[in-house]
Amino acid sequence: MLGGSILIEVQNLTKRYGEHVALDNVSFKVKKGEVLGFLGPNGAGKSTTMNIITGYLSATEGSAKIDGIDILENPIEAKKKIGYLPEIPPLYMDMTVKEYLKFVCELKKIKKKDIPETLDNIGKLVKVNDVKNRLIKNLSKGYKQRVGLAQALIGSPDVLILDEPTVGLDPKQIIEIRKLVKDLSKEHTVILSSHILSEVSAVCDRVMIINKGKLVASDTPENLAKKITTINKISVRIKGPKNDILNMIKNIEGVKLAEIDRVREAGSIDIMIESEEDIDIRESVFNICKDNNYPIIQMKAADMTLEDIFLEVTGQRKGGATYVSDIK
Amino acid sequence: MLAILNKEFKSYFRSPVAYVFMAFFFILFGIYFSIICLGMGASDYSYVLGSVSIALIIGIPIITMRLLTEETKLKTDQLILTSPVSVTDYVLGKYLAALALFAITIGITILQPISLGFFGALPVAKIIGSYIGYLFLGATFISIGLFVSSLTENQVVSALVTFAALIVVLLMDGIIQVLPKDRRSAIIFALLLIVVLAILFYNAINNIYISAIVGVIGFIIIGTLYFVNPLIFDGFTTKFFGWFSLMKRYDAFSKGIFDLSGVIYYISFSVLFVFLTIRKIEKKRWS
Repeated sequence: MLGGSILIEVQNLTKRYGEHVALDNVSFKVKKGEVLGFLGPNGAGKSTTMNIITGYLSATEGSAKIDGIDILENPIEAKKKIGYLPEIPPLYMDMTVKEYLKFVCELKKIKKKDIPETLDNIGKLVKVNDVKNRLIKNLSKGYKQRVGLAQALIGSPDVLILDEPTVGLDPKQIIEIRKLVKDLSKEHTVILSSHILSEVSAVCDRVMIINKGKLVASDTPENLAKKITTINKISVRIKGPKNDILNMIKNIEGVKLAEIDRVREAGSIDIMIESEEDIDIRESVFNICKDNNYPIIQMKAADMTLEDIFLEVTGQRKGGATYVSDIK
Repeated sequence: MLAILNKEFKSYFRSPVAYVFMAFFFILFGIYFSIICLGMGASDYSYVLGSVSIALIIGIPIITMRLLTEETKLKTDQLILTSPVSVTDYVLGKYLAALALFAITIGITILQPISLGFFGALPVAKIIGSYIGYLFLGATFISIGLFVSSLTENQVVSALVTFAALIVVLLMDGIIQVLPKDRRSAIIFALLLIVVLAILFYNAINNIYISAIVGVIGFIIIGTLYFVNPLIFDGFTTKFFGWFSLMKRYDAFSKGIFDLSGVIYYISFSVLFVFLTIRKIEKKRWS
């Protein structure tokens, strides 16, 4: 985590829609230069939090301050410091990219003589210069997202708030956008939300997990992973007949649970083994397989991914660890 | 504000809206001009303007129906409302863009009376007065349409509700004629107004006690007035609806009288609706 001054300060944020509580007493701080990831299922309150910080919605209770400026008390000044890419990029379909970005420049009160330079720089950065004369409605989803990002960057705001910036993009575009966000994080403080875990762990310095409007965890991706990693769950791939192997494994002392996962390699089976606490059964598994002459193709600890942590802390876990390879 | 005004005005011309709107007005002006000035040989162009006031009822909803509905629906308002721009600038920009389109369209029709001028003397004061009145009338109608467009996310609903509201405004003088003028119905009407006011209060602040207090205070005021000076209730209903008679004020302009009270009336009417629109958008953030 980088040292530095606090740029965003959110205190006791609560948002109610009638009886429904969308956000329940959420507080956090973001330091300058930090990349903060919001993680949570759809409807957890990620977008609501972002909408409140950016001044689009008002909180029922609590306050949000950008660089010490309260978004409700001095909205114009606070908004100057924010670039926001909402979940649905706010694009005017009947404008060309150039017209649109020029409009945003005017909206953000960029001086007229600086507009061409700003447009050129940002166009280069997010790589939209080659489509600048096309109508936005004719652009692909990836380009639309980039134009949305370009819009957020105009006026070089201190804080960038990106709501699910990679949703609906293909894997190649996702990687591009992630790389872009990483580059941007050198000069901007970034808050981004996602329900894809690998994304958050790839780009963020710190992850906040939100569920049902509540903040459930906040730490670095590594620390979160460390917290719950255990050695009593392993995954093995063994070559041989399915039932024999399963019975053999189940008979090892200390095995609590053994399940067959789907077959990934012909002639072999993948088994998920959960042992009693504090028993490392890896050696026993090796020995018994050796004695019965069933070759072990692969053995690894079913280490906790962010997905597991997420399910664990949000209480949606249904038993059994998840394989690393199952995560997109 | 200028950025929004500029963008909105251009967006009229990016879609067919501006062309349809202008064509519609020019056709109607053309028809009435042909019939009244060319056909019947009248040199008084104010008759044409008087006759095409009906065009406003259909024309204005066309240019106001998408003003705020589209932004809300496509969530582009997220861009504007999170930019360093106040809600007032946002709404005013929208309003002025529609007004500019309307003014330009009407401005072009001035060619008609000018062309008439080549063939004889015109009642210039009446024509200029009519144009000014027509512009103010349109500006007021646009403010109503703007407000309606802030209430819904659906363009068709926005257009139809505006259309209905404008018809009521246009027919207001006729409606006033048939309203009861006696004291008892006026009191009942006043009480109903208080109930509506209390409901509006409840809608705005979601506090049943304050709304109830507003209602009770209103009832007490009406009760006191009834015992102190029942005369003020005579004709109250017609007077109340008379405030909404936008067309009545137009008549003075069409006679060539620059009616300052009419100007103030139209301006305050527009300001009221622009203000209500701003309040409506502000409120959406809090709900």
